[in-house]
Amino acid sequence: MPVGRSSPSVRPADTGRAEGAGFEQRARHGGTGTHSRRASRAGTAAERLAPLVLLAPAVLIIVFLRLWPLLLGVNFSFTGDGARNGTAVGFDNYLELLDDPLFRTALGNVGLLVVLLPVAVAIPGLLATFIYLRVPGHRFYRSVYFFPAVLSPVIVGAIFNLILAFDGPFNAVLGTIGLGPVDWLGDPGVAIFTVVGVQIWATFGMALVVFLAGFSTLDPALLDAARVDGASLPQTVWHVIIPGLSRTIQFVFVTTMIGMLTSMFGLLYVMTAGGPEGSTYLPEFYIWTQQGQMNRPALASAASTVLFLIMLVVGLAQISVLRRSGGED
Amino acid sequence: MAGRRLGRWAASVPMAVLALATIYPLVFTTNVAMKTRREYILDRFSPADSPHLENVSGAWNSVGMARYFANSVVVVTCSVFLMLLIGSMAGFALSQLRFRGSRVVFLGCLAALFVPFQVIMVPLARVMADTGLIDTYPGLILAYVAQFLPFTIFLMTSHYRTIPAEIVHAARIDGNTTYGVYRRIMIPLGVPALLSVGILDTLFCWNDVLISLVMMPSAEHRTLMVGVTSLRGQYSDDIPTFASGVLIAAIPVLLIYLFLQRQIADGVTAGSTKG
Repeated sequence: MPVGRSSPSVRPADTGRAEGAGFEQRARHGGTGTHSRRASRAGTAAERLAPLVLLAPAVLIIVFLRLWPLLLGVNFSFTGDGARNGTAVGFDNYLELLDDPLFRTALGNVGLLVVLLPVAVAIPGLLATFIYLRVPGHRFYRSVYFFPAVLSPVIVGAIFNLILAFDGPFNAVLGTIGLGPVDWLGDPGVAIFTVVGVQIWATFGMALVVFLAGFSTLDPALLDAARVDGASLPQTVWHVIIPGLSRTIQFVFVTTMIGMLTSMFGLLYVMTAGGPEGSTYLPEFYIWTQQGQMNRPALASAASTVLFLIMLVVGLAQISVLRRSGGED
Repeated sequence: MAGRRLGRWAASVPMAVLALATIYPLVFTTNVAMKTRREYILDRFSPADSPHLENVSGAWNSVGMARYFANSVVVVTCSVFLMLLIGSMAGFALSQLRFRGSRVVFLGCLAALFVPFQVIMVPLARVMADTGLIDTYPGLILAYVAQFLPFTIFLMTSHYRTIPAEIVHAARIDGNTTYGVYRRIMIPLGVPALLSVGILDTLFCWNDVLISLVMMPSAEHRTLMVGVTSLRGQYSDDIPTFASGVLIAAIPVLLIYLFLQRQIADGVTAGSTKG
């Protein structure tokens, strides 16, 4: 139907973003001949505004409650707290952050998360491989593993407070095989590993489901070929599965990293409150303490900006990796 | 061949151990919740000799869990309804209508997806305080909608992209306006996506603690998860009541999981395959 793409749909640019959709024009040409001229003009105005009306609430909320606060926060991080409230202080807040051992611990722990990231990706990846290869009971495992992923960090944290207590069941089980009790949440050298371990326990099911969705796009003929050629399981994983799932693997890397940076607050709040000796601080917990407990909103904003920069690096790394793999396709 | 089968069984052993490690913490907590304090102190591992539901009713009645539960239900219901309404409207416009600036709006939503709450927490709390919305239900609801709307829009847009333009076109020939198309075509055809996005949004809001902690400081406005964290301080010497509180907060999620597992998985994977 080659109608309507000529003059009526071409308007001067200054009519703004509420311009009518292309197929509206076609529909009107085809179907509304019986309308009176005035009615159809009123209808046209409403129709032209339709995309604007449909998008207005979303745009207003996102702009005023997400993007605008981001700028506000960056701006805020260059002003002072307390007596210097509102005055410009340049990079003072950032310098103070660098001086603060708690914030340095928080950044160090981010480094630790990066180091542990491959483990957090490999575990669900390996389990998904087994489930995909139809290990006996794979359906059961699939739904059991996914279960903790829907629980709140608060609930997970509260449960593991009981399990990992010094006289709790986990140490009791270790005791029966002759391993001494470990103070999982009270030892500054151990606590951060405990919390990250619990985070992995709580989220690996999410990554597992994503991996399984990736597997379903894998060409079964490749796996059959590998089997015919007598490839071992490690060989199959290395030469067939990993290359075939590269996009999924990257996606899981990025979402797991983002999850570790932004969804461990509940665990920290319930399990360690940043302790012992501040050893389990992460940037998000630091931001919350400075804002809520210490009444240092400007310093908290500076920490927020640093966290955002870290997130930006993760996001850009994702994009560049995707570009590169896109080029190979 | 036999070796391969043996390999599968070998893999099954650590998987079974892991499955146990996944389930046992919850079983343990449930069991503790059913014990009396005395029973718990004597032996925390043995099965409760009879289920003592009075811990659960105690936590429900005396600690304010009922109040926190109601707060959560109200806030989560309103938030998710608004997210789905606003998100499906925007998703429809972004996927099926052609207009100037549609790409910019979509990229803006994507950008917002990468702004976590922690990053805008301080200025957002200030904006809410300036507008008098802090510590009110509408304030928390707005904060939730703002937080999870970009995700909702993203998934609704990619779902609506799969609806063929011919269907929309036919509806227009039948005399529908854009709003008519939204109501009569997009809502009904969007149900599967609305369901799985809605369940995920429900879980996000129900499970949140940080946003609620920042936006609803006063005790009577606590949502359930914040309530659970406050239980710990109050009941540090009464673990069974504490465990009961945890259980109360977990039960709705457990039910959602048992009945709607498939939709949850669909929502999670929709984000990954279209991202």
